[in-house]
Amino acid sequence: MRISDYIEQSFANLWKRKLRTFLTTFGVVIGIGALVSMISFGKGVQKNVTDQFNKLELFNYISVTTSSSSRENHADPDQQPSAEDVNLAPRFIAVVDPNILDDTFIREVTGLKDVEYAFPEIRFPAMIRFKGKEEFSFIQVLPAYVSDLMKLRAGESYTSDEENCLIISDSMLHRMGIKNYEEAIRQQIELSTLTLDFSIFNLANIASFFIRGSKDPNGTRTERLPFATRSYTFTIVGVAERMGFGGAIPLRSDVYIPLGPSQRMEKLSLTSIWDFFQSPGQIKGYSSVSVKLSSAKYVEPVKKKIQDWGFKTFALIDQLEEMKKAFIFMDMFLFAVGMIAIVVASLGIINTMVMSIMERYKEIGVMKAVGASDRDVKKIFFFESGVIGFLGGVFGLILGWAVSMIINLIINSITSREGVPYVNYFSFPWWLCLGAILFSILVSLAAGIYPTLRAARVDPVVALRHD
Amino acid sequence: MNCGLPVNNMNSPNFIETEDLTKVYSTGRIEVVALQGVNLSVGCGEFLGVTGPSGSGKSTLMNLLGGLDTPSNGRIKVEGKFISDLSKEELALYRRFQVGLVFQSFNLISSYTALENVAFPLLFAGVAKKERKIRAEQVLAKVGLGNRKDHLPAELSGGEQQRVAIARALINQPKILLADEPTGNLDSKTSREIVQALSDLNKNQGLTVVMISHEESLLAEFADNVIHFCDGRVTGEVKHK
Repeated sequence: MRISDYIEQSFANLWKRKLRTFLTTFGVVIGIGALVSMISFGKGVQKNVTDQFNKLELFNYISVTTSSSSRENHADPDQQPSAEDVNLAPRFIAVVDPNILDDTFIREVTGLKDVEYAFPEIRFPAMIRFKGKEEFSFIQVLPAYVSDLMKLRAGESYTSDEENCLIISDSMLHRMGIKNYEEAIRQQIELSTLTLDFSIFNLANIASFFIRGSKDPNGTRTERLPFATRSYTFTIVGVAERMGFGGAIPLRSDVYIPLGPSQRMEKLSLTSIWDFFQSPGQIKGYSSVSVKLSSAKYVEPVKKKIQDWGFKTFALIDQLEEMKKAFIFMDMFLFAVGMIAIVVASLGIINTMVMSIMERYKEIGVMKAVGASDRDVKKIFFFESGVIGFLGGVFGLILGWAVSMIINLIINSITSREGVPYVNYFSFPWWLCLGAILFSILVSLAAGIYPTLRAARVDPVVALRHD
Repeated sequence: MNCGLPVNNMNSPNFIETEDLTKVYSTGRIEVVALQGVNLSVGCGEFLGVTGPSGSGKSTLMNLLGGLDTPSNGRIKVEGKFISDLSKEELALYRRFQVGLVFQSFNLISSYTALENVAFPLLFAGVAKKERKIRAEQVLAKVGLGNRKDHLPAELSGGEQQRVAIARALINQPKILLADEPTGNLDSKTSREIVQALSDLNKNQGLTVVMISHEESLLAEFADNVIHFCDGRVTGEVKHK
């Protein structure tokens, strides 16, 4: 028999039993659709994360923090620097205190080869009031020399570190009901920070709080906790595009202010317990500094150098392998869930094919009587299984794609209300499309093995007598 | 369509030969002997009639000659080749090209038209679709059903269905036609027409025909020789021509 005849016969035979073929194929369609959706979601998440990381060059960043043991690891000032040390930072060793991440550190690390810039990571919570609306957010302090990192949708970035100006994200304005971002430019905005009020921070007040609670005997609220709020007025100079998927590191805020106003503001960062025991004047240096390199390939040598100086480092690129492992586990989990549907569909194929053989028992006898070999009979039923798999694969792919698009649409319509830009949560690479169809055919062929062997074993003498 | 032998060798007694042909069916501990040491020979171009009571082994003989079944003992030689020694694949080729089988219950595929039923064996012979159609139309025309080619078996009379079955058996131009009770489901007039058609094929095209029938009168009229079967043995042979 010719291949074209096998295919034609398969379609013709399946068409004769339309309902059963439809139901069986539908089972495969559901299975493949589920599998495709699951895998495409996994791949979509991976693609979004890695694309976003690459786009924002997050793999080029090193986050530096102070180390409690840094003094022990700190290079001996009397020790002769190596040639590499000289190349990277000839002045550094004798200048910077490894316990403090301050402007001196920033200046010196910026001088290292392959470092584009460095800036302190200062974040603190604040209540934002604008045009009668209030929103809570974390404020990111961003020196003027790196404020152009942001993609602006309106206005411009600030050029001075001293002015009380800020850049706000489009999503924050969106949440505040402002659609025309140009409207916000040059408008006044208020930031309220939380700070410690040392005037009431005494033993008598604390004792009173624990004895009587935060309300007096009349039930009215009393201000006995040692906290106060401070309000500051800023001018909006720019509206930034929110940095995509879950916010980018280190630019992950809705409001960015320059260094100067930040230093003048009374605030609790709420990132360390020491905030409660130190006045702003006592806190020296920054809790962390971000160092941006020209390429991810320089992360390792620069990181090693900074570690040698006694600081702790964190680079996202180090987490890449871990992320890949996590993605593989996620893929495997999603694949396993999808496979349940495929296994159920396979049972449907086996059932359909066995039923078909029982119904066509006499026909198999006729096939053999007119010269069909066992191999021919096997191939006929094998092709029928394959056709079910092919149709299931193609329509399953279409179903998976359609369902993914609908889910994508729903999620994006919800997140767009929060000002989050459109994200495609599903990815359909060519290998997934082709693989889904091939996998469907393979699974169907595997499901067809038993029925096919059964068909080939039919005794023509018995089959021809069968009524 | 002939035996592939010189005309003066027609009716050579050695075209189909069986030697001590035995078939035993086993169902658990019970053994049923369907054929017991049958020795017979059919000449090339001969019309052999086979008759006997039900259960005498006629159909078993037909299945063995047609390569649908294999003997428990003994050998079958067709055209000098022992088909009892053939593998399953070789037997399929034998059924495809050397023998045509006609059955009492026609055994047509109910969802296929007359034309599709006739063309069906050509599928396994690897014949192209277009040629399959042409050849099936020609053979259907030969059996007088050119105008009924697009009808389903259910839309045809018993005689017409049997003629479609004969056309299907002839489509691969076999040298032997084995007919197992081809008139069993037909009225006497139609039965006669069918046997006449087989006889014509035998006479005009040199086709070797082995036909099983209960109707001894028909066999006496059309067959060259008639053998009688009883309890799996040949109990008699009558030469009519």
